[in-house]
Amino acid sequence: MQWYKFGEPSGRYVGETAYHRITENMITEKTETLTEKYKELPGEFGFLYGPSTGGLLESVLFNIHTPGEVIKGIDVNPEVKLRKIIVNGLKPADALLRIERINAYHSASHSIAFCSAVEDALDIEVSETTRERRIAMIELERIRSNLEVIKRICEPAGFGVPYNQIAYLKEKISRIIGNLFDHRYMFSSNSIGFATLNFKDVSGELSDIRKDFSDIFDSLLQSKIFLNRLQNNGVIDTADLIGPAARAAGHNIDARIDSETLPYRDMNFKPAIFDEPDAFGRFYVRSMEVLDSIDLVMSIKLETQQEKSNDPKNSEGEGAARIESPQGDLFYYVKIFDGKIDHIELSSPSIPNINAFKKSMIGNIFTDFHFNWESFGIWISEAAVLFQ
Amino acid sequence: MSNFWFLKGIKKGVKTEKFPYEQEESPPLWPSKISGSGKAECPTNAIENGKWNSEKCIFCRRCVPNYQPDGDQNLFDVSKGEKTFKRSFYVFPVDTGSCSGCNMEFFNIFSPQYDSSRLGIFMTNTPRHADALLVMGIMTDGMREALELAYEAMPEPKLVIGLGACALSGGILGTPPLPKDQYNIRISGCPPSPYTVLKALLKAKEGDDGLNEYSRSGTN
Repeated sequence: MQWYKFGEPSGRYVGETAYHRITENMITEKTETLTEKYKELPGEFGFLYGPSTGGLLESVLFNIHTPGEVIKGIDVNPEVKLRKIIVNGLKPADALLRIERINAYHSASHSIAFCSAVEDALDIEVSETTRERRIAMIELERIRSNLEVIKRICEPAGFGVPYNQIAYLKEKISRIIGNLFDHRYMFSSNSIGFATLNFKDVSGELSDIRKDFSDIFDSLLQSKIFLNRLQNNGVIDTADLIGPAARAAGHNIDARIDSETLPYRDMNFKPAIFDEPDAFGRFYVRSMEVLDSIDLVMSIKLETQQEKSNDPKNSEGEGAARIESPQGDLFYYVKIFDGKIDHIELSSPSIPNINAFKKSMIGNIFTDFHFNWESFGIWISEAAVLFQ
Repeated sequence: MSNFWFLKGIKKGVKTEKFPYEQEESPPLWPSKISGSGKAECPTNAIENGKWNSEKCIFCRRCVPNYQPDGDQNLFDVSKGEKTFKRSFYVFPVDTGSCSGCNMEFFNIFSPQYDSSRLGIFMTNTPRHADALLVMGIMTDGMREALELAYEAMPEPKLVIGLGACALSGGILGTPPLPKDQYNIRISGCPPSPYTVLKALLKAKEGDDGLNEYSRSGTN
């Protein structure tokens, strides 16, 4: 493993797999921690919301403890749709078909982190072209993902015009992705050792999207009604925050600057940081990231040449990789034996984000719930996965 | 300020496509109908003896170059429609274990490019108001009861729609939530494109004959 070691925690908290706690460059065995269950006081009751996809995008079950309006505690159960995915014993290329489908909306992030871990384990050299293509994939995915989150924040506020205008831009990004990678969710565009792409000049379309989104963003910032719904809603500033939630709280934390899996450092990348640790701060950071990611994609010269995988130097080994998905640090560890997956672990950014959401919701009222939940950009499909 | 967003919306003009009255503006290649011959390294056995089964296909491109997509978005089969829903068709989505791809493509039919509301297709947040149950994803233990309760809560007449390879055949990840014959409408794709979803829903709400102004092209 060139980027990770087993040992005592070192550096910032990144997340947790089923068996390990992950910090910047270390994988540490997890110690058993007792999870405290909220005990209702007299006059309080548990309000169950879900599992459904009606008001929510994915199935999830909430148990909200409340005396009537103020939320005193909240349990989030993503495991109502726990998927058991068979990966062990498969060749990495076959496992990749399943990894891509852990969370389709962030399939590029998952497939790139997994491929990078496999390439690390088998010592496969990856070309600069492929590494740049992968940055383009992740950044396009980030633009679309952040647009989705901002759109969903507009919905409970009753802001129908920006909601639909952002939905329009999001669909345009999906079509750009479809044209570049032949699939709107980039399925099968990434392979072990290389990535495929159809060359098409998309800079004009991206410039138009940047201009339109910038205009919507500026208008939303001028709306007191919109800002009032978000400011001081879901305040949280703890050391275990990751991704946009951490950056909104003023922490300069981003796998694009502290992980070497992809060459962001060569592009002088600097993450967007803000100083309001609430739903507004998270909305602000995600909006800035839409603009920054468009600039990043436009700065990449997408080469047209066909790529292929270099031969692996090993047939077994262990590897790990971490990338910055739109929700935060996404980490994969793989152990390969005889050319097949022997063991795999995933640290999904949605797990730390669910924990942060639970803490940040205490003291807020019911009407704050949707704004706060959406501002974290939590995806249940990547939080409820069991590898077999 | 009260007219601010209204005027901003008006300024942008109409963004909705002419589809389904005209051809799709931007149909994806994957997924679309696949044809060809010869060997295929198919991980889901969607291609057997040279025959392609769209409901098993995850459109992973492993069959290329012997098999190629043609851009045709008619990847659906409607075994029973319901004319009662001709003017308004309310769909209740249930995610029994999806990767979120089908969820997103279903929600995308309400985006301005497709604007399914103008065609009388709506989403409802409760099965009590639903005309159709739209099932996405593989079967997971925790969602089994929720799926059954949602179906029982729906008023008659009702339709059941299977959306995507996981719901229809289990795809590459698991087992389907319902047997094939319990779906009235089966929409293939991994995930199906918004065009395919919209075409299938239009056909379902027009009744058994399936021949209406929107969907003349038939099924796969």
